[in-house]
Order: sequence, then C-alpha cells, then structure tokens
Amino acid sequence: MTRRIKIAVMASASLLLLGSCGGSEPDDNQVVDSIDTLEEDFDVDLFESPEVDYHLPSPLQVASIFKKSGLEYNTGVTNSADNSGNYNDELSQHLNFGVYSADMAYCVLNEQANEGRIYLGVISTLAAEIGMEAVFANEDLMDRFELNIEDKDSIEILMIDIHERTEEYMEENDMQHQSAVHFAGAWTEGMYLGVYDYEHNGSKEGLGAQITEQMAILGNIIKGLKDPRNDGMELGWVVTDLENIQSTFDSFGSVSAYYEDESADELTLSDEEYSTLGELIKALRSKITNG
Amino acid sequence: MKKTLTIIALFGFALVFAQTAANLTEFKENISKQKVEAKKALKPYRYDGSKVTYFNFKTYKQVKEVEIYLFNNTDYRFSFNGKSLPNDVTIKIYDEDKTNPKRILLTEVSGVKGKNLVVESKDLNATYKSKKSGASRLKRVFVDYEIPGVTGAQNKKPTMKERGAVILVMGYKN
Repeated sequence: MTRRIKIAVMASASLLLLGSCGGSEPDDNQVVDSIDTLEEDFDVDLFESPEVDYHLPSPLQVASIFKKSGLEYNTGVTNSADNSGNYNDELSQHLNFGVYSADMAYCVLNEQANEGRIYLGVISTLAAEIGMEAVFANEDLMDRFELNIEDKDSIEILMIDIHERTEEYMEENDMQHQSAVHFAGAWTEGMYLGVYDYEHNGSKEGLGAQITEQMAILGNIIKGLKDPRNDGMELGWVVTDLENIQSTFDSFGSVSAYYEDESADELTLSDEEYSTLGELIKALRSKITNG
Repeated sequence: MKKTLTIIALFGFALVFAQTAANLTEFKENISKQKVEAKKALKPYRYDGSKVTYFNFKTYKQVKEVEIYLFNNTDYRFSFNGKSLPNDVTIKIYDEDKTNPKRILLTEVSGVKGKNLVVESKDLNATYKSKKSGASRLKRVFVDYEIPGVTGAQNKKPTMKERGAVILVMGYKN
C-alpha cells in the first residue's frame, strides 16, 4: 500500500515537472483527466474490498484442530530445517515459508519446543529472502522463545504475535495476494502431517473427519493463488496439483452421497478414498519440499 | 499566461492530492487502532486473524460478503468494529453464500457505526439448529455487510466522508 501511495505521489510530481518544463501547453481538460485517473486508481485499488472475500485459518489454529482430533506427534515427519538452503527461487521460498510455519505450530502444540525454535530460525531466514525481514526485526523473537521455552502457552502467544505481524506487514505493503501462496504450503504440510498419522497410527475417526473438513478451504486457496498479482511466481503446477486434489475429492462416491443427503452430518471417506487423497497430498508435499 | 495558469492548477491538484493522501493515512492509522480494540474484545479466545472490509458508500445499496470456516465443534468469537463508518451498515450472518436463495439468516446486527460488537458462534449454531431440522453444526458462515445507498454520494470519485470500513477480528476457544 505504501508503495502505491509513493508511486502515485511520484506520478503527481512528474506531472508537475512536465507541466512546468514542457514546450507544448496542455489544455485544462487534459490535466484534469490525468489527475482524475490517478485518484481513481488510488481509490479502487486500496480501499474497495472485493464483493466476495474469505478468511483462512492460521497455521496454529489448523494444528490445534488436528491435535484435538487425535493427531499424535511423529518424530522426523516434518520438513527438515536442513532443506531450507535448497529454496532459492521465490516460489519455493514462499511455499516453504508456509510449510515451516505449519511445522513450527505442530512442534509447539506437541511440546517439542527445541524443534519449534529451529523452525523459528528457518522462518526468519526465509522471511528475509521474501522481503518480510521487518516482521522479525526490532524484536528478538529468538530470545523471547528461549526465555519461555518451558511455557507452552507463552510460546503459542509468541506464534500468534508472529502471525499477526506477518498479516499486518503484508497488508501495509500490498502483499496480501502472496498469503495464499504461504497458505498453500501450510495447508499441504498440515494435511500431510494428518495423512501420515492417519496411515501410521491407526485410522482414527476424528482425524479422518478433520482431513475431509480441511478440504473445504481448498477452493479459496486455489482462488487466492490465481490472483493475477501472483502471476510472476510460476504457480501453474501448484494450481494444477491442487485442482487435481479438489476434483479427485469431489468425484469420490462418499462426497457425492454426503452432498445429496441434506441430513448427513459428518463426511467420512472410504479407506480407498482416503488412500487416493493421501497419495495426492504426499506427492504435492514432496514436490514443494524438494524445491 | 496560459502556461502560468496550468502550473498553478497543477500545484492546486498536487495540494489536493497530498491532502487526500494524508487523510487516507489517518484513515489507515485509525483502522490499526480499532483492530487493537476489536482484538481486546476477543479475550479469552485466541486471536486467529482479521479481515478489514473496505467500501465506499454509493448512491445504491451494496453487499460485501466474507466467508469464514468453523472447524471441529470449536467455539469462535467474531468481534466487529464499526468506528471507521461514516454511516451505519447492517451485518447479516448466513449459513450459505448469497447465491443460495434457501440460505438461513443466523443473526442480524445493525447500529455497528461507532461501536465494537461481538458475535459468538455458539449462538449462531443454536439458531442454525433451531431453523434447520436435523442439522448438527455450522461448518462455515457468510458475513454479509449491507451497505445502504447514500443520496448525493460520489460513485466514481468517492470523498473521505463516503469511505468506510468494518474491522472483523476472529478468535477461537483454545
């Protein structure tokens, strides 16, 4: 936002300079039109929300919901912090910023503070690479983390602070469209952790229901990724994979039956459907974390 | 002479533009303060995020909609701050989006201008279950802001007095 204001002010200044230095004399109408156009762009872009909008849950809330549904902590399943150096392009940095945010939430909620601290370091580094270093600057988050390492509630509050500061920074700097990319990474990682636990620790009913419930968000994530302002990031393969997950899910017999039955409460997939969905999620997660 | 007038006109426009930018900066700063206030009203629920819906009052009625997910029987609290509203708006919360003619109205709140109001998901759920037989719980809600038409509003080039926003801050019971 700030950037756009600056651009608009600079454009006005340029008009002034052109007006005073130019040899030709613009007529009054021409000048008025230019200013009007600038003002119109300013208003439309900055202070008019879309007719239809959505709110996506924070990684901490998603991790909390999965935990309440019976998700257990599994050592070594999260994306290794050692991989962070492999993310050299803008897209993999944004996606894995989301992946590591989900991993940090997963560790903190499962009282794995040391792991959580490592992920905080990785997230700070990635944030600097994607132009959000200010979120982690001017406050030693690592010190706060160290100081409260034994206090799960304080660490969770620290995570909420980071989330809020990220949200504010992105809004102030006209970067909100990129939050869908972070969320795509976080969603994929959250689903992966759920699928892993579901497959390895017995098919838990609550967890299975939560995996299907999280599918409700996918449509809006895809919509967010398709924002034209994200065009420079070559998101095509991510969108294709997520759309494939969505259409495969929609084609499941259990899903059709659920939507046809108005009295149906919870959606439960068959084992085969869970397996199909799980394979697609694992494949996408692998592509994202392999950079 | 014509050139001098053009320069004066340009300076005039630049001043107006600078004033507009200053007003907008103040508008944004107020929203930040109001968000803090809305967040306080969430307690003891855990903050999950915010959504500021910006609009300009026009000569005709408008509706802006925000979709929110409710997961796993969790209790949510929605804090609405209307202190950046020059005129009142009506907040209506439904179980389905505005394209569904059979959707159920779960609550309606007016008089949000100048206030901070809180809505609880458990109340929305109770209404939902009472209005839809066999329903167990809401899995998402749609918040509609009904923005009334204002006589004489500048539809194409809104002025500061036509600019408004509602800050929605969401929290969940941990």
